[in-house]
Amino acid sequence: MSLALQTTAELNPLQDSLRFGRRVPPCAIVIFGASGDLTKRKLLPSLYRLFYERRIPPSFAVIGSSRTPMSDDQFREKMRNSVSHFLEDAPFDGDVWSSFAQCLFYIPGDLNDPASYDRIKQKLNQVEQSHKTAGNVLFYLSTQPSHYEEVVAELGAHGLAHGNGWRRVIIEKPFGHDLASARRLNDEIHKVFEEAAIYRIDHYLGKETVQNILAFRFGNGIFEPLWNRRYVDHVQITAAESIGVEGRGAYYQETGALRDMIQNHLSQVMATVAMEPPTVFDADNVRDERAKLLRAVRIMKPEEVAKFAVAGQYGPAHVGGQDLPGFRQEPGVSPDSQTDTYAAVTFFIDNWRWAGVPFYIRTGKRLPKRVTDVAIQFHAPPLGLFNQETRTGLMAPRPNLLVLRIQPDEGISLRFLSKSPGSGMRLRPVSMDFNYGSSFGERTPTAYETLLVDAMSGDPTLYTRQDMVEASWQIVEPILEVWGNTKFDFPNYAAGTWGPKEADEMLERQGRKWRVP
Amino acid sequence: MTTIVYPAQPEQILKSLSRLWTALGEEEKHQGKPTVLRACAMTLIVATDEPDLGFSASQTIAELMHEHPSRGIVLAISDRAERDLQARVFAQCWKPFGKAQQICCEQIEVTVRPQSFPLVGPTLSGLLAADLPVVFWCRHHAALAPAATSDQTAGIGAVMRLATKTILDTKDMDLECLFRRMQQWRTIGRLIADLEWTRLTAWREPIACLFDTVRDNPYSNFDRVEVAYTGDTVPASAVYLAAWLAHPFKAKVSLRETSGPSPGIQKVMLHSPGEIVVLERDRSDHMTLASTRTREREYNYTEPTLYSLMNEELAIIGSDPAFDSAFEHAQEILNSVR
Repeated sequence: MSLALQTTAELNPLQDSLRFGRRVPPCAIVIFGASGDLTKRKLLPSLYRLFYERRIPPSFAVIGSSRTPMSDDQFREKMRNSVSHFLEDAPFDGDVWSSFAQCLFYIPGDLNDPASYDRIKQKLNQVEQSHKTAGNVLFYLSTQPSHYEEVVAELGAHGLAHGNGWRRVIIEKPFGHDLASARRLNDEIHKVFEEAAIYRIDHYLGKETVQNILAFRFGNGIFEPLWNRRYVDHVQITAAESIGVEGRGAYYQETGALRDMIQNHLSQVMATVAMEPPTVFDADNVRDERAKLLRAVRIMKPEEVAKFAVAGQYGPAHVGGQDLPGFRQEPGVSPDSQTDTYAAVTFFIDNWRWAGVPFYIRTGKRLPKRVTDVAIQFHAPPLGLFNQETRTGLMAPRPNLLVLRIQPDEGISLRFLSKSPGSGMRLRPVSMDFNYGSSFGERTPTAYETLLVDAMSGDPTLYTRQDMVEASWQIVEPILEVWGNTKFDFPNYAAGTWGPKEADEMLERQGRKWRVP
Repeated sequence: MTTIVYPAQPEQILKSLSRLWTALGEEEKHQGKPTVLRACAMTLIVATDEPDLGFSASQTIAELMHEHPSRGIVLAISDRAERDLQARVFAQCWKPFGKAQQICCEQIEVTVRPQSFPLVGPTLSGLLAADLPVVFWCRHHAALAPAATSDQTAGIGAVMRLATKTILDTKDMDLECLFRRMQQWRTIGRLIADLEWTRLTAWREPIACLFDTVRDNPYSNFDRVEVAYTGDTVPASAVYLAAWLAHPFKAKVSLRETSGPSPGIQKVMLHSPGEIVVLERDRSDHMTLASTRTREREYNYTEPTLYSLMNEELAIIGSDPAFDSAFEHAQEILNSVR
């Protein structure tokens, strides 16, 4: 909740935060890149679902824009097909769609054609009257990142950044491709929009399970006292995908796993796991703490990169009776590509709480399964009372492990040792499990539903701020620079495996090993 | 799969539940992977005197399980009960959209003869899910009426003592009598909720929005609240709404009868020296908020169902300050109306 909202809630004698949903004011959303993948897979299904659940008001409109020539009706039909196909964990209702479709409009046009913005302006004026959107507009930049500066400049030039109501802009990742470009992009956007109107989206922060990390840590009294170097041996953050680049080879080749996942999503997850408690749960305080944590991450020296970071690229393999191409065999990918489809990094956080505790982060494509989780491994007990059994080979000692499962099978589990029934003190690891489904029914909102409502309501808590973006570029930049000057012997892992052996060796050098999630 | 348990000793009922889960687990053994997820976040006890012996209560619980997984206990109090206390256990299972695993909640139906209603406490005590909240939904209309028998009063008292929160519905009830009893329960520390208050959320939310802009708010100086409703008697929801609105602003209250598409509140008017704000249900599925100055907004309106009301109430397990305050002042308004 933003400070502004909180102040309002405190002062409004009729406010009832126990029962009233998040207020979404009337507004129009303009989506640039409306014929793209993100719009059809995420944005429209999320908006439809919010409409279905009546979480957005009837005074609402969506204006899609892209180069593809389409009428309003053609756009509606195309989006109908996408929404019915990509809707997550929810059925499609044709009647609800008919009402929702009346709020959809389309303006074809080129991003560098000034006339397009005139037509958008005209349409916004129309829907302000016809759909009573109160002049509030949320611009969603779902275009190629190279167009961001241009679109924002045109919005400013055509007077679209100001109007009868509020104006906000959501910018998809990547926010820049390195620190310098992120700063430059920020300067350009600030020429048109104030910081409070800029919403840099990182959809991982909108995931219920990532938000629950804060609830778990700061809503309970028993975990936080253990949440430090005295009790935690190390932390592993894994984001594995079983699929390859799925036709996005050309895009991915310019990005790579480190930029695509670690610079943004996983560094934000690390910040959420490791940040200090905010004094107040509001946008500024939560983001201050995240930013502070990211600034405390040790910046690697170039000579340390080989020791603390591993790049990988998948090769071809035969998995489950199917031949899978290697990355270099994917369409649009250069046959000698040096792009990392796997990245593993050891970070150290130089602050009082975490000094000396390694945070191991790995991500990759074509790994054995799709899983994202955070594992906090605690120190082993100081005295091995039951080591006798271990010497017989019955069980290797295993420290306690707390796993926060972000996706799939969302939940939390704690591994501890228990005596096996029968004579003798034979111990066996068991798991105490919390599964979201067992306590909270069947459906949680998707990350995009949460984040869209937040942006429409003016709550930036789950959006990244410029200082957070810069801090996360700073921690990966030395790695990018070294990797950019290295000729790797790729491919170095087969599809369907947990990555290159160098990643295992990185942990083995420190006496640890990767979990198998 | 269901099992009849008689006598309804907690130990026997719990054994039946255990056998039930073992049977559900058999399928997992065959398939070699988890197929059933046992879900429970609270104990939900429903006491009912409805002639269907708890059938409709069970149906609503089954719907609620999806959002609020619980151990459901339905107490059907009826002359037609075959024995003093007899229980039946079964599982409510559903498969979430797009998921392979079933989620199951356990349910216990207990049929009780009216004279045994005051004695259900020990049985229920043994059946509560450990360390989780207990919510009591009182659908026993006779026990809430002015002519309630001592057995009925003792019966709901026995259940209430176990409950973290008690939910009742003052709709179409004798308000004077029931408000008095609610006040008594509240005085001895019981947490009471009223579904008539829950029905107001759709009205309260758009009105509250008006007061979000605090500085120079043109609405904050309104001095009269007018609530119009359909029906022969003043509904509790109208009294609550008036109390909620009038108290913080020290405004005067008037309640009046009108006509409308369905029973309940139809219109709310806030009168201030320079402006009148009206929130009106102009169609069965639509509300309009208008003012004599500038603004007009439209809202969807859905007639709340028992499921939707309970769904909202079960999300609030602790105290509800807004309701507590409205209830205090609703009694004064009710007294002045009478």
